[in-house]
Amino acid sequence: MTDRLKTCLIVDDSKMIRRVASRILRDMSFTPSEAENGRAALNACKTTMPDAILLDWNMPIMDGLSFLKALRKEPGGKDPVVLFCTAERDVIKIAEALDAGADEYVMKPFDSDIIESKFFETGLV
Amino acid sequence: MSNQLSLKPSYYEALKRLTLELAGIQLGDEHTFLVETRLSALARKEGFDNLSDMIEELFSRGQTRLAVHVVSSLLERASQFFEDRTGYETLGDKLLPALHPIYKGETLRILSYGCSSGQEVYSTAILADKFAQALPNMTVEITGVDFSSWALERAKIGKFTHFEVQRGLPIRHLIEYFKRDGEDWVVKENLRKAVRFVDHNLLSNPEVLGKFQVVMFRGKLQYYSPTATVSVMRYLSKLVSPGGYVMLGSDETLGKLNYGFDRQKIAPGCYQKPKIELPKETPETSSDATQKHTANLIYEYGEQNATDSDAA
Repeated sequence: MTDRLKTCLIVDDSKMIRRVASRILRDMSFTPSEAENGRAALNACKTTMPDAILLDWNMPIMDGLSFLKALRKEPGGKDPVVLFCTAERDVIKIAEALDAGADEYVMKPFDSDIIESKFFETGLV
Repeated sequence: MSNQLSLKPSYYEALKRLTLELAGIQLGDEHTFLVETRLSALARKEGFDNLSDMIEELFSRGQTRLAVHVVSSLLERASQFFEDRTGYETLGDKLLPALHPIYKGETLRILSYGCSSGQEVYSTAILADKFAQALPNMTVEITGVDFSSWALERAKIGKFTHFEVQRGLPIRHLIEYFKRDGEDWVVKENLRKAVRFVDHNLLSNPEVLGKFQVVMFRGKLQYYSPTATVSVMRYLSKLVSPGGYVMLGSDETLGKLNYGFDRQKIAPGCYQKPKIELPKETPETSSDATQKHTANLIYEYGEQNATDSDAA
């Protein structure tokens, strides 16, 4: 039997961040996909629920926190491991993200070691 | 030798000897890039125009303080929170519960031997705090020791960069045990109170440190020369109380020289000292001897260099 590569949806309004994160995730043997805001991400999840989501906070149309709250109410929406990946470093904001259902939290700027370490925390790698 | 190094080969050889004698660490030709980058940074910090000027000063004037800074710059290791997680699982799930009935009502002492910038010490303190409810009436004291260095000074302050706190440290632990300080994160006072740090050369007699029930010496054997490994392990064995444990890295073993420890099947890299105390060895050196030893090494090199110059 062949193991399926794990999928990760990158949700960020910055094309540069999506590109960098995609490269890091491919190196970690994930199959990445991209969405540029929370609404597009929610639509993507309704079609196919990914194994993991790398989620920005501040985005137009639908922000990361609103997306996460909506995702967790969807059928199968509690399954994906969600890593908030944002420039927000305020402890209150971090706690808010965790209360909304984030599994881990990455503070920008990040590098491949941090992403790998955080995915390891969640038990996904 | 690699041509990456701007130092004269004789100086590089002297640096290798100094590092080996003072800290037991064997520098190879593959370390030229590390030597160049770390010591160039130190030279700037010390106010020298370049690396060669600093090394010239070190070996011509025999500055003990500078020698210690040079060696400690070369020894600094990248360290992560909860690195080699198997060891922490062993400590939390097996060793602490096994030691709890014996040390209930007392203080259990854990040592991080070669603690670098302190991540292992603080990770252990977090683990002990998490287990405090399950293992009541036992105080856990955690000590970190290492060669005097900038890394050890940072460990004492408990301040870590944005990148350091994101490698191995779960976010829930970060917000519970650390507070923001500008771009960095600082360990909260309640966790700092559970730990202490001591400047100590692992090649010197450790008796002043007392006895410990668990000594963590993980992922470090590879850096020591064969001779230094024997010295370090002999000293380490003096630190472990009868029935206490040594934890090496999960991929490390003591080999045939077991230094009086019994290998444990409960986890890889885990050894226990027999409960009956073995006869004491005679102390060889004290930590004070390090300074004299450093001065002698520099002096010897200066003498040798002067003789070579005279001959030329």
